[in-house]
Formats: sequence, structure tokens, C-alpha cells
Amino acid sequence: MSDIRKKENAKLPVYRPATDIMEEEKGFSVYMDMPGVPKENLVIDLEENELTVSGTTAQAAAGEQLAEQQFGGCEYRQTISLSDIVDRERIAAKVQDGVLEITLPRAAAHEPKRIEITQG
Amino acid sequence: MVLDFNTFHPLPQLEKMFEEFMRPGYGSGKAMGYPPLNLSNDEENVYVRAEIPGVSLDEIELTLTDKTLVIKGERKKLAGKFLRQERPTGVFHRVIGLNVPVDRDKVAASMKDGILTVTLPKSEASRPKRIRIGAE
Repeated sequence: MSDIRKKENAKLPVYRPATDIMEEEKGFSVYMDMPGVPKENLVIDLEENELTVSGTTAQAAAGEQLAEQQFGGCEYRQTISLSDIVDRERIAAKVQDGVLEITLPRAAAHEPKRIEITQG
Repeated sequence: MVLDFNTFHPLPQLEKMFEEFMRPGYGSGKAMGYPPLNLSNDEENVYVRAEIPGVSLDEIELTLTDKTLVIKGERKKLAGKFLRQERPTGVFHRVIGLNVPVDRDKVAASMKDGILTVTLPKSEASRPKRIRIGAE
């Protein structure tokens, strides 16, 4: 079974999903457009400083005749290098309507801080 | 690009960047409207599928006229400080010509994982029908 799956996947084109990265006070938010990828097919791996996201679209319904095709089955894959200020332990991800949102919180030591000035 | 820098990779590797530029993306070679559409049909229905990630079904306006289906909506822009912005935003509007009469009352739409599916049942009159030939 796993061999067959591998073959099917090998045929799919690999795309890098369109990605937004926002900087916020609390850290970074990453948004990736991955339409057609069900939650079960999404994999996020963190290896040292590389965060790899990959997902394969669900199989199209069989028995239909395609008249026009402008998108199709594919594999999305994207690697993001994390800066040292991201707290690896608190990375969170959720998916809604085909958009994957990854939250990369700043490590406490790197949160913006105002420095008090004392008069001596 | 802050995220692409860290102590181990002081600069993003140029080769990797070029590789990404060279990769074929959507719509390479052929001008396409947004959202990308797949049109298919079987004996009973016509299916219109569109890739619209990040938009919920109630934010999409579907209008069915005599010969066309119109998909209208907007991909909202996020507010904040962008380090990278690649996802398209803005208003979209697509008109799909229907070449077969459809049963207007039974049209259904659903949204799953960012893919909109509109199912338009072919009207009784346009379905293939077997004609019996009687021998006398």
C-alpha cells in the first residue's frame, strides 16, 4: 500500500505555497495558501532551524469528465529558516479554509522591552 | 525577511533563491483569471470548482443567470507588518458560461479546505435519454 502511495505522490507536481509572514509584538505569524489539502495530509517538521511544511491535495472525484482544468492535484512544500528568537517549544499551527497558519512566538528573552533609565 | 536570517545561515543561500524563482508556478504560460477554476460534468451534474483559500462560503456571492454562473468575493488583506507577502488579496469576479440548461432550484454550493464546489444539476430536458425503437 505504501509503495503505491509513493508512486502516486511521485507524479504530483510540487509547488511552493504562497506565503505571508507577519511580524507582531508576540512573534511571527506565517500564512500559507494550501487549497485542497485536508488536515490529515498536512505535515510540519521542525529540524534544527528549518521548519518544513508539506501537504498533498485530496484525490479528485472519479467519474467526472473535465471540460476545463486550471488547478489540479499537487504537493505543496515550503521550508522556512527560523531565526534564533523563535521559541521552538511554543510553535502552534492551525488550518482553516485551506489556509495554514503557523504561530512562531518570540522567546521570552527576545520580547521587546523598554529600558529604564536611572539617574545617578 | 528577518526569518530567513540566523546565526547559522547569515545570508539566504542564493542558489536556493534562484531555484525558487525558476520553479513553475500557477498560470505559467497561460493568462488566467482568479480564482482558478475546474469545470467538469457527469451524466447528472455540472461541477464548478474554484480554489479560494481563506474565504468562507458566506463571504462568497454566487449568482445564477440564464446562461452564466457568477462567482464574486473578496480576499481580505491582513493588517500588520509584512515580512513577506505573496498571497493575493482583493476583489475577484468570475463569470462561467453554462452551455447546458440546469435545474436552478437544485443548485448546491459547498466549501472544503479552500475549494468551492458548485453542483449544478442538469435539467431533465438536457440529460441523455435512451430512445426505444419498437419493431413492428
